[in-house]
Amino acid sequence: MSEETQETVVQEATDSLQSMNIRTEPVDSSDPEHTKQKVDILLKPTGNAPIMKKKKWTVDSDKKIGWIIEFVKKYLKLEPNEKLFLYVNQTFAPSPDQVVKNLYDCYSTEGKLVLHYCKTQAWG
Amino acid sequence: MWLEYNGQPLKWQYPIGVLSDLLLGPDDLLPWNITVHFSKFPESEVYRFDSKEMVESYFMACLKEADVLKHRGQIASSMQKKDHNQLWLGLQNEKFDQFWAVNRKLMEASGDQDYFKYIPFRCYIDDGYRQKLVKPISDDNHKKTLQDLLEELFPGNKNIKVKTHGMIPPMETPLQWLSEHLSYPDNFLHLCVV
Repeated sequence: MSEETQETVVQEATDSLQSMNIRTEPVDSSDPEHTKQKVDILLKPTGNAPIMKKKKWTVDSDKKIGWIIEFVKKYLKLEPNEKLFLYVNQTFAPSPDQVVKNLYDCYSTEGKLVLHYCKTQAWG
Repeated sequence: MWLEYNGQPLKWQYPIGVLSDLLLGPDDLLPWNITVHFSKFPESEVYRFDSKEMVESYFMACLKEADVLKHRGQIASSMQKKDHNQLWLGLQNEKFDQFWAVNRKLMEASGDQDYFKYIPFRCYIDDGYRQKLVKPISDDNHKKTLQDLLEELFPGNKNIKVKTHGMIPPMETPLQWLSEHLSYPDNFLHLCVV
């Protein structure tokens, strides 16, 4: 993929993010209101999954995993019938109705929740 | 197909005991009458499942998550595929001994430890549930109780009571005991705020 099309992809994903009310700019962590309600997630590909140019995202802590799956699918321009799996700790797939806050509270390291994504089931 | 009670769609991924604790009041009669719907699937409220395999993966994912909390995931990951199958088939066919022969290993503190690392629990409140890292013992080696868990989860709120398996456990119940004896087959404690 050329640099130009990459940029278009990122721009489109950014647009669709904005339409979904997600922040795309870096969050000023000194602002208490934001540190309270948003969490940092790091999205890492595994297996044959394409890489995401932007890996670190800040999302509302009450967002559900199902929403993040849809967002990554959109960002990677997957077909609607293609599957995407997310994993925590490279161990288990969180439920689509799990909220990010619970996962962040239990499994984040160094202030970030690391989520691995892949197009086929990994780690059972 | 989806199920409904009293205008509320039932989430298939919650254990039925949790649905009953959440939705049934003291005046509701048993057996529980629920409505079966074949159209107008409530997409925004209930997650759709399209195969039995998906229910199986959901169940196994819960077990693995619970094991991450209890034993850093080492017991579940050291199990063979046939052990995982035995857990699922035992649950599916209501063969308690078959299920428990494997589940016992997940339900013991590992090695020379007397306690789990953290207690796997989900505490249902409002429309969802809360999870947090809570240890079964305090830093000065005292057994923590249900009261301690609720204080860590809802700081400053002393009057919270929870229900599980249709009853309200005493606040002084030790967490390790609660986790070993009142967890659901998915290895989580499911506590519903009343």
